[in-house]
Amino acid sequence: MKRLKGRLAWSMMGVLAAVLLAFGATRSSGPSTQEERIDAISKRLACPTCNGESIYVSRASAAESIRNEIARQVAAGQRVDDEIVAYIESRFPGSLLLPPGEGVDSLVWILPVVALVCGFGGLVVVFRKWKREGDVQANADDAGVVAAALRDYEDPTEGL
Amino acid sequence: MPAAVWASGVAGPVGRGALLVGVVAAAFGAIAAITAARESARGEIPRTARLVPRFVGLSLLAALGAIVAMEWAMITRDFSLQYVQDHGSRSTPALYNFTAVWSALEGSILLWIFALALSAGLVAWRYRRRLDDQLITWAIAVICIVMVFFFILSFGPANPFAAGAPGVTDGPGPNPLLQNHILVLFHPPILYLGYVGFTVPFAFAIAALITGRVGEGWLLETRRWTLFAWGFLTVGIILGGWWSYEVLGWSGVWAWDPVENASLLPWLTGTAYIHSVLVQERRGMLRVWNLSLLLATFSLTILGTFLTRSGVLNSVHAFSESDIGSYLLVFFGIIVLVSLVLIGWRGDALRSPGAIDSPVSREGAFLANNVLFSVFAFIVLLGTVFPLVIEALQDRQISVAEPFFDRLSIPIGIAILALMCIAPVLPWRKASTELLRDRLFWPAWCGIGALVAGIVSGADGLAPLLAFALGGFSGGAALRQVVLATRRQGWRGLVGRANGGMIVHIGVILIAVALSASNAYTQSQELRLSVGTPATFAGHTFELVGFREEKDDRSTAVKALVSVDGGQAYAPAITKFLNMGMNVGTPSVKTTWRYDIYLTLEPPVKMDSGEARIKVFVKPLIMWLWIGGGLMAVGTILAAFPGRRRRRPTDPTSAPVPVGEGRVTT
Repeated sequence: MKRLKGRLAWSMMGVLAAVLLAFGATRSSGPSTQEERIDAISKRLACPTCNGESIYVSRASAAESIRNEIARQVAAGQRVDDEIVAYIESRFPGSLLLPPGEGVDSLVWILPVVALVCGFGGLVVVFRKWKREGDVQANADDAGVVAAALRDYEDPTEGL
Repeated sequence: MPAAVWASGVAGPVGRGALLVGVVAAAFGAIAAITAARESARGEIPRTARLVPRFVGLSLLAALGAIVAMEWAMITRDFSLQYVQDHGSRSTPALYNFTAVWSALEGSILLWIFALALSAGLVAWRYRRRLDDQLITWAIAVICIVMVFFFILSFGPANPFAAGAPGVTDGPGPNPLLQNHILVLFHPPILYLGYVGFTVPFAFAIAALITGRVGEGWLLETRRWTLFAWGFLTVGIILGGWWSYEVLGWSGVWAWDPVENASLLPWLTGTAYIHSVLVQERRGMLRVWNLSLLLATFSLTILGTFLTRSGVLNSVHAFSESDIGSYLLVFFGIIVLVSLVLIGWRGDALRSPGAIDSPVSREGAFLANNVLFSVFAFIVLLGTVFPLVIEALQDRQISVAEPFFDRLSIPIGIAILALMCIAPVLPWRKASTELLRDRLFWPAWCGIGALVAGIVSGADGLAPLLAFALGGFSGGAALRQVVLATRRQGWRGLVGRANGGMIVHIGVILIAVALSASNAYTQSQELRLSVGTPATFAGHTFELVGFREEKDDRSTAVKALVSVDGGQAYAPAITKFLNMGMNVGTPSVKTTWRYDIYLTLEPPVKMDSGEARIKVFVKPLIMWLWIGGGLMAVGTILAAFPGRRRRRPTDPTSAPVPVGEGRVTT
């Protein structure tokens, strides 16, 4: 059993996982129907009249007409997704749901990374500190106090 | 009709009166509790303590009275009230008329108050024999103060009993989206119980800071309260997702809408807390951190309410604009300030001795969990308020929405899943590589199995495949714990924190896998169906059988009957609500273990043409979302049961301290 769970078995498992993941990740992906392209595009755009809902989510009539426009462009097949998004954005400024990584807006992307680095960096620092200081040690007196307290606690039952 | 005359108009004064009684009773409850606590602190017998449960009971009665008055007004169609004019109607069916009470801001605060008073009542009843303990009386005082705030909110700026214009005899009823699914009866109350439930551990945390008893006692008192609050919040969020799926017609459960984010924020910090609190119970460490998480959880429920209920953020959930925003913001500020001051004041007492030996230990895993959940909460908060900040600073509008949250939550989610693989098998203090190799062996093979299953069923893309593999791995690790525990202890291996927690883990994993699969592999197509001509999509045939029109005095529904795979006909509908002039689509879903077929009817519908535009979504594994949610609820209940080995009173709550001539900490 020990050998079964040894390094060899674990390395085999690692290789197997890597191969399967590589195979799966590289095989054909992407939307298979026009409708799925329309969905993918409409998820990236905000509906102009409905409080931050995407075109994909919203059932409002403005969203419906933009969805029809996207459908027309997808059906025409002349533009790729990014171009369609850019076209809609040019007609309805501010409809991009993904904040661009420029200027102040880039903070929305940078701050999460900073938070993650700070979080795990902080963990590393405290573990270093703990390692340096070592664990608390009680001296023989402390142990005596605890033992006496426990004796007191159990005494009543012994006396009966 | 004398009865109707008597009935009409009575709810307003009664409700106002109840709210006023509530303000006074909660304020006196707080005063009595603080007086009692100070008497106990001086070593006297707290005479005022016996008054505390009476005032709390009176507040509960007042809260009950207020919400019953509102229900009464809604049920009797008392159109003398503005709220009933706005959200009631003569033609709303009884069930949705009942739920209309919490379909807008003012009424939902009544529901909040009732849930809060209920938890206050439960606390006062649970600890009725321990009112001489100042920790308890301070905690009740804090709850009462929170209650006073909400009673004032409802009595003043969010008054649900304001008189409406005279002569109104009918209204539009609640938003049509809130009157076509039974879940509107369950989702808001359960979610509110979750939000409000965190008031109890918050109150005990404040009480511990005030009394200086910042040891582990207050934690043990609030363990189950926290667990139940967390459980209700979890179930409330999942029911919200279910409602969205069944009602909104875009086939999704979560849209990263600000209101959804507001419920996710306290859930994230609450989840971090219920993990890291175990380190404190076991080792007496992380006191400041745990207090901060708890205080953050409660403050975030208030901040979330502010963001979504004051009109500063646009959201489909946001109710009409109102001036309660400033009240909530001030209250949030007070909570944060009081918390910070108290933690600073008790800083010395909070410093806990001890060290965590190794990052590869259960403590280490809990810390990593805390970093991930806190960063997740930070991301959600950042994304939610970022547009506000930009608008305030630069006066321009940007949206930070689903694509942003998707892009960041996927790596965080995968990291959390990865942690869930290893953490359950880790021992306290320190783990060796051999031990990990041994304990993780079969769970890891479960991961490989899940990966193979994903590949065989045609899955592609790195993120979802990783989610499957890690889902299998972490599921194996959770199952391993449950199997070992039940083998050792029989059915008792299912209860207690560690074991119930693993059931919750399995629920979380099911949800993670189901979400990854349904997000990545949804197939959709719009079909133009003519009666009698079947169409095929994604291996299924769809045939338009006909139309059905259903009319009642408030709406006209057109249903397209679509037979799926030659079987039963499903009926996606569009309902026109006459007095709102609003068209609401209602999807129809065929659910199986492997996939859902989700049908919506697209406008415009011309019944006489014999044609319909039907949008079809084939979404894998959706049912496992609900099963996972159910498991999370069951696991939470199991975790609340005491496990087999209850700690003897003489056992140390911290790990034994080695004896030697070492560093002295005191």
